[in-house]
Amino acid sequence: MTGEHPALALRGLAKRFDGTIAVAGVDLDVPAGSFYGLLGPNGAGKTTTLSMAVGLLRPDAGSAWVLGQDVWRDPVAAKRLLGVMPDGVRLFDRLTGAELLAYNGLLRGMDPAVVDQRAAELLDVLALGDAGRTLVVDYSAGMKKKIGLACALLHGPRVLVLDEPFEAVDPVSAALIRDILTRYAAGGGTVIFSSHVMEVVERLCSHVAILAQGTIKRVGTIADVRGGRSLEQVFVEVVGGRTATGDELSWLSR
Amino acid sequence: MAVPVNVAVAPAGPARTVSARHFVRLKLRVMGNNFRGQGWRIALFVGGALVGLWFAASGFFLFAAPGLSGNGRYAVLVAAAGGGLLVLGWLLLPLVFFGVDETLDPARFALLPLPRRTLVIGLFAAALVSVPVLAVSVAVLGLVVTAWALGGWSAGLVAVVGVLAGLLLCVAASRAVTSAFASMLRSRRVRDLAAVLLAVVAALLGPLQVFGLAALRETDWTRLTGIATAIGWTPFGAPWTAGIDVAQGRVWAAPLKLLITVAAIVALLAWWSRSLESAMVGTASTGKAPTQRGVTGGAVAQLFPRVATWVRRDRFGALVAREARYWWRDARRRANLITIAVVGIFVPVLVNVTGGDFAAEDGAGFTAAVSDSSPVVVTISLLFVGVLASVTLANQFGFDGSAYATNVVAGVPGRVELRARMTAFSLYVLPMLAVVAVLLAALLGRPGWIGLMVGSLAATYGVGLAVNSFVSVLGAYSLPETSNPFAMNGSAGMAKALLTVLSMVTTAVAAVPMVVAAALLGDAWLWLALPVGVAYGLGTALLGAYLAGDVLDRRQPELLATVTPRR
Repeated sequence: MTGEHPALALRGLAKRFDGTIAVAGVDLDVPAGSFYGLLGPNGAGKTTTLSMAVGLLRPDAGSAWVLGQDVWRDPVAAKRLLGVMPDGVRLFDRLTGAELLAYNGLLRGMDPAVVDQRAAELLDVLALGDAGRTLVVDYSAGMKKKIGLACALLHGPRVLVLDEPFEAVDPVSAALIRDILTRYAAGGGTVIFSSHVMEVVERLCSHVAILAQGTIKRVGTIADVRGGRSLEQVFVEVVGGRTATGDELSWLSR
Repeated sequence: MAVPVNVAVAPAGPARTVSARHFVRLKLRVMGNNFRGQGWRIALFVGGALVGLWFAASGFFLFAAPGLSGNGRYAVLVAAAGGGLLVLGWLLLPLVFFGVDETLDPARFALLPLPRRTLVIGLFAAALVSVPVLAVSVAVLGLVVTAWALGGWSAGLVAVVGVLAGLLLCVAASRAVTSAFASMLRSRRVRDLAAVLLAVVAALLGPLQVFGLAALRETDWTRLTGIATAIGWTPFGAPWTAGIDVAQGRVWAAPLKLLITVAAIVALLAWWSRSLESAMVGTASTGKAPTQRGVTGGAVAQLFPRVATWVRRDRFGALVAREARYWWRDARRRANLITIAVVGIFVPVLVNVTGGDFAAEDGAGFTAAVSDSSPVVVTISLLFVGVLASVTLANQFGFDGSAYATNVVAGVPGRVELRARMTAFSLYVLPMLAVVAVLLAALLGRPGWIGLMVGSLAATYGVGLAVNSFVSVLGAYSLPETSNPFAMNGSAGMAKALLTVLSMVTTAVAAVPMVVAAALLGDAWLWLALPVGVAYGLGTALLGAYLAGDVLDRRQPELLATVTPRR
């Protein structure tokens, strides 16, 4: 059954906030087993799109399916297949790392023994075991990202949706996260993540979509989108960036 | 335009000095922007302003009464007692109920090169721009009228100065106290000390209660005037009585009283300025968790606190365990628990016991107290405790903020969610309520009334849980993400006050049958109250979770959006 359905399918997703259009009709098919990068400048609507795709934000129009399950008609079935790491959202950060994992596992209806075993493993692999009784609120930014990823992975989801997993993460943690994601994708899982770091997307992704001003501007396999150029060149051209001429801000140089 | 500015050496060289005016304008701008495109917020604001105006008008006539009637005999009494109550209110109400308006969060100014004196004075000036301050200033104008009517323009002028100083004192007191409490509750080590201090502050309600009851019973007004005169020489009464002193010929007293007031304001501002600094740097590190002995057991075993070891290891259990941990670890929630504990014990004890032993000082006081109380009075006072305890959950999702996303993503059914939250909160509150009942029964010397007390508490608390389930799902609002447990957004403060009152009134109305039964059924009720009350409370709580859970299922994303703080 999963073979026929894309891992994530979005049709006409749209959202406006207080009169400003955040997302203006996004259509997207994420093939099962792909490593999908959602690129876009700040304010392009990446977070809004992903929130609507996973059931955190009700869209004004459009639908989303996870492996054929409608996210908004049958949220429970869809959410069971999903692992999500939202950005700019707090975790229940007055728990310790282990407590947070146990909470998430039991909340997903997992067996306590399995939760214990997987939590120990994840804490070990992500080098969070040393934190011991430290509350997540006292973690560093990189550690918070890692525990968020652990929470998303714990129940073994089929589709992993990550919002800005590499934001504010030091190179060592970033390499670790990259490594885990690659292994997860190699094992048959689907990863979709948003980012504005070109090199990470270029290195990891099989597919990429460029989102700007609330619509998809380019979409396809990474080779298609690049068309022989660097991803950064394509991105700046699509987004319509401005380059400094050198005359303004002259007071910055002495 | 290419003027080279030496950024590194003289950052503030040509900078103009920042004054309080800037803070006031910033506050007005923030308030204004909060209203933009939010019709309901404007409506709430206007509603709050009207309520404030109504209180202001009644306060005005109360304060102006001695002057308008031309009877100077009670002028000092009214000024000292009323003014003292006002200061006390500014001290206690933010701690117990409403929170302090933190439209301008001090932490936001941490990086600006501002001298602390400028910052404190600026924030103080901004704090003066608020509806409550306006309402109180209208009310205390009554004192000016009194002084003017009794002593002519000179007394009136002194009263104006005194009243203005008094207003400053009120605001300074509320800021200093909440800020100090906030930093105390933030540090994990001193939280027990904070609990004790809050108990002491609440204990101030005691003398007040005695004073009020005495005013009703004693016809000996001269004695009260004596007390009032004494209060007039403390910061609580000094600013309000200065004008009346001039009117009554004690001109020498006025400058002394103004001096007392100014000294108090300066001391409070200095105190505030000290705790402000810790509030500004405190956000960066919230204090390290005590590094306890190594980790024991698996992740699941760690999640469940000792109070909740009996809960089963499933979704419901996880929710209960997490909530139970949060009621203790989150400073904001802990402050609420402490308030319930303190007020829940003091109010019924004061209502039922203290009144008597003031009236009869001849050693028979205690028996007099006992004969004073009745099942109806006990039920009503405990009804208040139950209402107060349950209204804490009126914005239970607001405590979580955006972290609630975890539960949305996991697709937690609404009914399980609400039942678990009730259970976890009850782990703390039910023992407290039991203590209240036992303590009250012991103090009254009526062990036979324990059933009645527990029954009333259980019924009100249970009904309150049901009412507040709906309020928390439908009327949630976001709390600012600061570590100050008393912080509120300006407009949210209004919303909170209205919602709190609404939920409290509904709960009280739903619990009225317990009072009626206590009045009508006589001695039989002493035995029936326990089973009936517990069944009524438990039944309504479960029904509330069942119905409100259904609503929650349909609006989880909307709830998440309302509790997520806007940035």
